[in-house]
This record gives sequence, C-alpha cells and structure tokens, in this order.
Amino acid sequence: MHHKKLWFSFVLTMVLAVILSACSSGSKEASGDSGESDDGTVTLRMTWWGSQSRHDQTQEIIKKFEEENPDIKIDAEFTGWDGYFEKMAAQAAGNNLPDIMQQNFGEYLTQYADKNLLTDLTPYVEDGTIDVDGVSDTVMKSGKKNGKLLGIPTGTNALAAFYNKDMLDKSGVTIPESGEWTWDDYMQISEKVHAKTGKYGTRLMDPTVAFEYYLRENGKKLFNEDGSALGYEDDQLMVDYFNMNKELVEKGAAPGYEVIQQIKGVEDELITRGEAAFDLRWSNQATALDSASNGKNIQMTLMPGENNDQGMYLKPAMLWSISKNSKHKDEAAKFINFFTNNIEVYKIAGSDRGVPIKEEIREEMKSDLSDTDKKVYEYIDKVTKHSSPIDSNYPPQASEIMASLQKIDELVMYEELTPEQGAKQFRDESERILSR
Amino acid sequence: MLPEKDDLNKVQQTQPPTRHTKQKKAGGSPSGKPLKTGNNNVAGYLFISPFLIGFLGLTLFPILYSLYLSFTDFDLMGTPHWIGLDNYVRMFTNDPMYWKAMKVTFFYAGIAVPFRLVFALLVALALNKVVEMVGLYRTLLYLPSVVGGSIAVSIMWRQLFGNDGAVNSILSMLGFPTHSWLGDPDTAIWTLILLYGWQFGSSMLIFLAGLRNIPKTYYEASSVDGAGPIRQFFIITLPLLTPVILFNTIMQVIQGFMAFTPSFVVTNGGPVNSTLLYVLYMYRRAFEYFDMGYASAMAWVMLVIIAIFTALIFKSSEHWVHYESDSK
Repeated sequence: MHHKKLWFSFVLTMVLAVILSACSSGSKEASGDSGESDDGTVTLRMTWWGSQSRHDQTQEIIKKFEEENPDIKIDAEFTGWDGYFEKMAAQAAGNNLPDIMQQNFGEYLTQYADKNLLTDLTPYVEDGTIDVDGVSDTVMKSGKKNGKLLGIPTGTNALAAFYNKDMLDKSGVTIPESGEWTWDDYMQISEKVHAKTGKYGTRLMDPTVAFEYYLRENGKKLFNEDGSALGYEDDQLMVDYFNMNKELVEKGAAPGYEVIQQIKGVEDELITRGEAAFDLRWSNQATALDSASNGKNIQMTLMPGENNDQGMYLKPAMLWSISKNSKHKDEAAKFINFFTNNIEVYKIAGSDRGVPIKEEIREEMKSDLSDTDKKVYEYIDKVTKHSSPIDSNYPPQASEIMASLQKIDELVMYEELTPEQGAKQFRDESERILSR
Repeated sequence: MLPEKDDLNKVQQTQPPTRHTKQKKAGGSPSGKPLKTGNNNVAGYLFISPFLIGFLGLTLFPILYSLYLSFTDFDLMGTPHWIGLDNYVRMFTNDPMYWKAMKVTFFYAGIAVPFRLVFALLVALALNKVVEMVGLYRTLLYLPSVVGGSIAVSIMWRQLFGNDGAVNSILSMLGFPTHSWLGDPDTAIWTLILLYGWQFGSSMLIFLAGLRNIPKTYYEASSVDGAGPIRQFFIITLPLLTPVILFNTIMQVIQGFMAFTPSFVVTNGGPVNSTLLYVLYMYRRAFEYFDMGYASAMAWVMLVIIAIFTALIFKSSEHWVHYESDSK
C-alpha cells in the first residue's frame, strides 16, 4: 500500500511538473521571447564585447536609434572579450541567441556558419533594408561564408605597429615613413630603445595573429585551401618566428609572459604606461590606446617584414549578425542599416569598430575627425594600398588550434620546449584536432 | 479521489499485513484515521513538490541527460549522434591536455585539501580558547568563505599576487626580491592552493562545533591525572573529533576536485596550463570548442573519481574514526 501511494504521489508530482513547465514556457513565448509588448513596441536583444569606452559609445548610439525608431527598444548585453563567446555558446545551446550579435571574423564566424546559427542577410541587402552601396566587394566578402552573407562588417581594421615616437626619438632611431622595414629593423630598434631608455623596446604580440601574419608575409597561409590541414609545410618558419621572439626576450628588449600575462586590458598595456616603445595590434584599438595613454605621442605604421605588402590585409573589425532564431529580423536589420549608414554613429564611435565601410561616410567624416581617428583613417588608406586579401579558409576547429598555438608559444617562451619541438608539437596537435 | 479508494481496498484485500488498519476502520473508528493518514501523505508530497520538481527537473534529469550526452557527439546546437564510447576512448588515449588537467587537479586537491583542513582545525582550536568577542572573530574568519566562491575574492587574489600587487610591494619594502607569482608556471598553482586554504571558514565552524561538544569533564579528569595540553589534544580532542574530521574531509575532497572559479578568474588556466583544473578544461571543451558530448564524458569520469575517493575515505574511517557511542 505504501508503495502504491508513493507512486501515486510521484505521478502527481510529475504531472504537476509538466503542467508548471508548460505554463512557464507558454507564458515566455507569449511575452518574453517574442519581445513584443502591448503597445506594439518591439524589444531587440543585442550583444557586443569591448572596452569601457565602447560600451559607453554603443549605448549612446542605441539611444539615438531608439529616438529615431520609437517602436523599437534595444536591450544591451555587453562584456569584455574574455567570456563573450562562451556566453554566446550557452545562449546558442538554449536557442536563445540575441537578435543582434557582434560577431568575429575568422574561427568564430566559421564556427557559427558551420552550425547554421546566423541569418543570411542577402535578402535584406537586396531589398534595401540594409544599404551597402559603395562598400567595396572585398569588404563585403569578409562577411560571407558558404555563399551566405552572415555579417555586415562594422568597419575596417588592419594590423598595425603602434610606436611611441618620443621614445624612438629619444633613442635616436626612426622608422621609414614608407613603412618599409624588416623584422631585423624591428629587432634592432627594439634593442636600441631598451639600451637607451632601460624600458622595453616592444611587447610580444598575440601569437595567433602574429604568426599568421608572419606566414602570410612569407607567402604561406595558416590553413590550406579547404581548411583540412596547415597551410605551410616547412616547420622552420615557426622555428624562426619563435627564435626571433626569444631573442628579443633574452636581450631584455621585450618582456616575457610573466609580465604580459598580467595585463588585463588596454588601460594597463606597456605602451600606454610608457614602458614599451612598440605594440603590434589591431588598428581600431588606437582609440582605446590613445585615451588611456595620457597624451603620449603614439603613431602607427605598417607591420615589419620584408614583404609586408603581402602580409598586411584588411579585416572586418567585427561583424553585425542576426541570429537564426531571432523573431524580429526586420527590426534587427534596420539597426544594422542604421549603424552602417548613419554618420552620427561614427561621430560617436570614431574608429573604435574600425573605419566606416561606406565610402560616402568616410568622405563625410574626414572634415571633422579627431586626431586619433584621422591617424587611423590615414593608416587604413595606406594599408589599402599595401595589402593582399584576407585568408578566410579557417576550419571550424580553428579556435581549438589557436588555443594550442597560444599554449605552445607559452611553452617555448618559458623554455619548456625548444622552438623546434614547439613547431613539431603544433603540427602534431593541429593534425590531431583536424583529423577528429 | 475515487480511484484511490478502490486502490486502497484492493491493496487491503491482497495484503494481509495491512489488515490491521482495515479492521480498525471496519470496527467503526469514529476518527477515520487510516484514510486521513493517506490524504496527509499526499498533502505532504504536494508540499514538498516544489523541491521534488526542482530536484527532478534541475538535478536528476540533467544528470541522466548528461550521461546520455557523454555517449554522443553533441555540439550544443545540433542533434546528438550516438558514438558509443568514443569520447571516453579519446579522453584516455588521444588528449594530452586531458591528462595535464587531471594531473594539475590531483596535485591541487592533494595539497590544498589537507592544507585547508589543518588550517581550519588550528583556527578552530584557537577560537575555542578565546572567550572574549569570539563571535566577532568567528565572523571575521568566516567572511572569506562567505564571499569565497565569488569572483570578487578571486579578482582580489589576482591583484594581490600580480607583479605590482600587494605581496610584491611588501616583499620589496622588506628588501626581499619580488617574484612574478602568477606568471611563473611553478608558483601559479601555489597561489591557488593558498587561496583555497584561506577560505577555511565553513570547515572551521564545523570543527568549532565539534570542539564545543567535547565534555569539559574529560579535560578536567585528565589534568588531574597530569596530562598536559599537547597530550590532551592527542588523547582527547583528536579522537573525539574524528567524526567531524571525517565529515569535513569528505566535503573538502569533493570541493577540491570540483574547484573552478580560482583557476578561471585568477590565472585562466595559465601560464602554460599549469593551473588548468579539470573543471576549467571541461568548461572550455563545452563552451569554447562546442564539445558538449566530450565535456559530459569528462564530468562522468570526475563523478566516478570522486565516488571512489569518498568510498575509500569511508572505508578507511573504520580504522580511525571514533564514535563515542561505540565505546559504550
């Protein structure tokens, strides 16, 4: 008898559970998920990553958009870069991605394209909801994957060698105006600055970006055409790359990982604190660098390398995407159109999300640019003339391979592996990951 | 309610042991107690149903589902495909990072857990002696554990042990050489162990309660016989405290294996994966590499490991845990 009762209660509980969960999901569908309230306004969820200055700017832009479109409200969710894509993955699993999502070119776009999580924006461009007239084909191409347009670039970006001109002057060295300088020049200048000022000459760059550039500059790619294997055969390239960095650290011209690992944002970068002369990173970070560096004379030039024309490329700083599960794709497209075409947006955001992709906006902006933005615009102009197309042949496993590259770079710099062992281990691990 | 009454009758007819109640009822018990008892049970289950629903929906179902997922290639979004034991095979034969994470976790748990337990016991002993303002001290010492699992403490730790952090400032003020605590693969894990030990509050409170339960008369009697405080500790305090030690050890071993926040926030697994705790690697597999099937398999292996450790500790407890009731 006891048994039976227990079962009865159990069944009762289960029934209740089902009813309750049905209720809650039902009401969610009715209000929360669809984001449509009684007075007809639509609420969009939007996410991005970035620095504090970007958060402030973006919220200002959202406010402008809401003023122009009183029937659309935007719920903003923003974080730093760390953790952004983990959060998105969890939301994707719950079929709950935001309507508008800041997306990253490369391994992430591939991953999301592969899992069919993003809306094809082609129809919105074709019917004019998103106006991209005058945007160059190469820029638009960077948002495409598997024949679908999955993201509209927020702006154009390029790798840049930032340098503290005052520090170089003090050390009696100059960089050729033309941007023609080799890795040897880069090392010599770094060492000279270190010898003269006692500060660091440079800071090691994120290997996932730097090594890819190094390969391109040597006429190779990180991945082969169909993304099924590494795109270079000779491990000596990686060995050379490691040796160069090791030499810089050994001579004291660059800090090791124990220093750079502590840096938690542009605000405490070595170059912003005046403790290093060079910093190789993305051009759109000029805004954050300049605002954090208290008026240091920071300039930018092409990345070093014998063939830097071949190594340099224009990259979408990031992309605006609409998730597949969004119920308000039209409104989301409207926002992307606003961001791409409204000059006010770039007056607020500057070049923080890259240089505007639309020619007319770039022209219109030119008259009243801030010093930093002027610098970045000129730089992007220069890169446009000295670059080759971006590599978009990333396999879906690229993020894991990048993590492996990062780890091996650390192991080599901590001298737990020789450069030769590191290069071999990277090849082995990549093959293992790609063959899975 | 009608079907239930029928059920009751049926049961009563077929199961002699329940006769007793039936006869009572048949005998015309005015209170009608038996039936009411039945109703009360239902009401009881209804009252605990919020917990039951939560347990079934948020604990039991996810656990079983993850067991299922561990045999699939689930990538968080698509449909899971059954791949049998592939995840487990890959884990043990084809993933060096997995073994690295396992090694780090065993090292961490193996040192941090005893460290925390000893530390908690020492503080509990000290607090047991303090009479004045014991409440205040207890609260203060417990505080790190209240905010313990939180991100805030981890961030503070990162600042303390950073290159320009307080620890290095103090060292250089005292004329010692500074060190890159979090940047050196040899020391980074130790900062996390220290952080774990520092959050000793909850075990300390449990020890303290255990200490308070030891009758004063034992100490009085032993001091009459001439035992000093150290001898008293070993012949009275420690043996009588063993049940509490057992409890704390088991809880802490479980916690130690499942540590995540410190390595995630303070060091993010670096440098060179020297602080890549098991759960952090699991999290990365699940949410960075969209490898949920594999992460589920990892979770189940960890469950088995913890179960084995708990069982071993229980088994060993026969030899060292002393219950007062046993000796009577």
